[in-house]
Amino acid sequence: MNAKKFVALLLVMILAFTLVSCGSSKTPDNSGNSDNTDTSSTSDATESTSGNSDQIIIGKQSDAAYLEPNAPSIGGAETTVISQIFEGLVKTNEDSTEIVPSLATDWTISEDGLVYTFNLKPDIKFSNGEAVTGEDWEWSLLRARDTETSAYNFIAEAIDTVQADEKQVVITLKYPWAPFLADLTNFNMVVGSKALYDKIGEEEYLLSPIGTGPYMIKEWKKEEYILIEANPNYHIEGMPKTKEIKFLVISDDNTRFMQLQAGQIDLMDDVPFSILPMIEKDSRINLDIFTSTQIRYLILNTTKAPFDDPKVRTAIYTAMNKQEISDLVAGEYGAPVSALVSGAQGKWSNSSLPIDEFDPEATKAALADAGYTDPIKFTLSIASGSAVYEQIATLLKSELDQAGFDVTVEQLEKAALTDKFQSLSHEATILQWVDDINDPSGIVGWTVDYSQCQSWYTGLNDEALNELNKSANREMDETKRVEMYQEIQQKIYDNANVVPLFRNDFAYASSTNIKNLSVSPFKVLNCALLEK
Amino acid sequence: MDRLNYIIKRIIQIIPVMLIISVLIFASMRMIGGDPARLMLGEKATESAIAALREKLGLNEPIAKQYLIFMKDILKGDMGTSLTYQRPVSELLSNRLPTTIKLSFLTTLISIIVAIPLGYLAGTFKDKTIDQVIRVIALVFISMPSFWVGLILMIIFAVNLSILPAGGWGETAIDQIKSLLLPSITQSLTTIALVIRNVRNSVVDISSMDYVDFARSKGLDESAVRNRYILKNSMISTVTLFSMRIAAMLGGSVIIESVFSLPGIGKLMVDSIFGRDYVVVQSLVLLFAFLVLTINIITDIIYSFIDPRVTLK
Repeated sequence: MNAKKFVALLLVMILAFTLVSCGSSKTPDNSGNSDNTDTSSTSDATESTSGNSDQIIIGKQSDAAYLEPNAPSIGGAETTVISQIFEGLVKTNEDSTEIVPSLATDWTISEDGLVYTFNLKPDIKFSNGEAVTGEDWEWSLLRARDTETSAYNFIAEAIDTVQADEKQVVITLKYPWAPFLADLTNFNMVVGSKALYDKIGEEEYLLSPIGTGPYMIKEWKKEEYILIEANPNYHIEGMPKTKEIKFLVISDDNTRFMQLQAGQIDLMDDVPFSILPMIEKDSRINLDIFTSTQIRYLILNTTKAPFDDPKVRTAIYTAMNKQEISDLVAGEYGAPVSALVSGAQGKWSNSSLPIDEFDPEATKAALADAGYTDPIKFTLSIASGSAVYEQIATLLKSELDQAGFDVTVEQLEKAALTDKFQSLSHEATILQWVDDINDPSGIVGWTVDYSQCQSWYTGLNDEALNELNKSANREMDETKRVEMYQEIQQKIYDNANVVPLFRNDFAYASSTNIKNLSVSPFKVLNCALLEK
Repeated sequence: MDRLNYIIKRIIQIIPVMLIISVLIFASMRMIGGDPARLMLGEKATESAIAALREKLGLNEPIAKQYLIFMKDILKGDMGTSLTYQRPVSELLSNRLPTTIKLSFLTTLISIIVAIPLGYLAGTFKDKTIDQVIRVIALVFISMPSFWVGLILMIIFAVNLSILPAGGWGETAIDQIKSLLLPSITQSLTTIALVIRNVRNSVVDISSMDYVDFARSKGLDESAVRNRYILKNSMISTVTLFSMRIAAMLGGSVIIESVFSLPGIGKLMVDSIFGRDYVVVQSLVLLFAFLVLTINIITDIIYSFIDPRVTLK
């Protein structure tokens, strides 16, 4: 065969390759359930031009797994979208300090704290135009409680019965539950359509549900984007401000930032602190900082040496320089903390707890008193691939090593790390928390209730503290309840099994023409107000 | 006829290889630890919710039974349902495989267009300035990590010049080609470098062969010598190299697709491994293995066309 024939063959191969690639792109999915999450319609010609003022494109790190609040696998990627689609009886106000009406107009709570009666706004409709019925409310709230595979069913645990009609929702609790009103602001205590659920079934409903929120799902291309459009039946006149919001999945932080610089997207969340200086210099981009409830914690396993000894745990306070860690990781957008509950929760946070000075000699002395003369060895296991956790661990090691410890930092892939601390085979790790509601019960229960997750994987079963937490959850007198939480935080500080390191703000970057960006301390972005 | 028999034989050989791979991937995914249910439910999940989800996902079944179910489904052409997404794997693939194939195709095309002429040029002008320059270029290409090159290209072409998108995927064919240009160039650099070296060395070796001297002494003009004798023979090892590179591209797509935010199978693979989505990983590994084996067979067949000394038996 001569060269010409060879070239011809090559061309044929290339052609074949092209055909294969074109052909397979048209292969219909053989699943038979092609729903609106997968439509490849290219109806709007304006797509991907972020110059269109009717559409705002938000760059997100990861795609949602589901868009229904009771689905398994709910995290930030899901709640950001879910919060635009669904609404509940109440919500937190703009600055997240108070609970205000949402679909309810007002409510009463019975003397014994067991019966909550909500009067509903009239004529509330789902985004498909159907009216919300009492049955929808009953079904939705009980679904929040009874979905076994939901990680948030504990929020609705106290509910005994729900009776509802078009005008009222009456919720009866099994026992007094002080945080209940705050619980009702959580993203899963919302009303969904039972009729749609009955029609399309669980599997489909998890992917394409409807609610009463300002937006509804228009198109979802898995791992590419979620497109939501304004709900034509929304109950607040003039809302939402922007017709369409497109959540575009761009997993790489640098790429996401460059797309913002290039004008391909309008807004990005999860801005890494390391690129904040670049954003501040860039005149095309605004940096928006929001108060958050995010805190990183050092988690010490109390079932294993060396942290089974409380004296070793408490000695660690003076062995770390929280200010230095906070400065390195979050710069001016962070601050060292000592209380378990975020300062953003206001009165609930125990602000009297001291932030211990870095004093390695004091730690050494305390350890010597406790009978430790040799450096105490332990392994600090952290999630790999995260600059934040690497920075924290590196500094912690250098500080602790000066104070009579000998730290080995171990980086584990997330699944392996989770396995390790969940089986309590770690010695120490670093984890984080963002509150979901305007109440301390979430983080406190997680930290002191052994039955939830072995007291946040520290294995410390402090019965007295657990009892105190239970009473705090049932205490209907707010002043008394605040006192109880102050005491709980003091006790956690004394136990030193969960050590708060520092808090940090949420950083969002947006192009300069984006207006009214607002994010709650619980990391909920309010898309209805967004404008450009 | 020989050729047909050979092809059939090779296709039959794929079966045991795929079986062994299926056992290996099935076992290794479960040996590395990590619980899909726990990962799905996240940090705030209670033990009872995790137990309920494990039950629902069928992770409570004995491992041997899980393997049998998996193989039975595969034989029926059903790749199963993703644990994380609760959607058929075939549906996930039908959305993403085309992207990866288009990316690999464009990468290969760019590599061929750039590398073969340059390699040939370098080989023909061995040790001259042009050869030196081309060799330095190849060295630079092979030394640069692809994620870095990708970011630099994005800064230049997307952020500063605004002529190409900084990653992402388009709806129309033109948008998609635009989206694929930078990633393909990035991904092709290593292949270009390897192919340049390979072609150059082959050309140098073949040029000193007796049959080339003989062709010249016969009085054939230089272009005929080049096309018929030198270039054609230097293609033999290049085809092998390309087939190996296409296999490597499937692996490399993992990085490229993440950097450029392309919805391909490379990214799906990484996400599924981290999420311990056993079903997706198993199916993808089998698919990768199948593609690599197929490419190998095609390579061998092409051999027999370009090199008559090779017989397929």
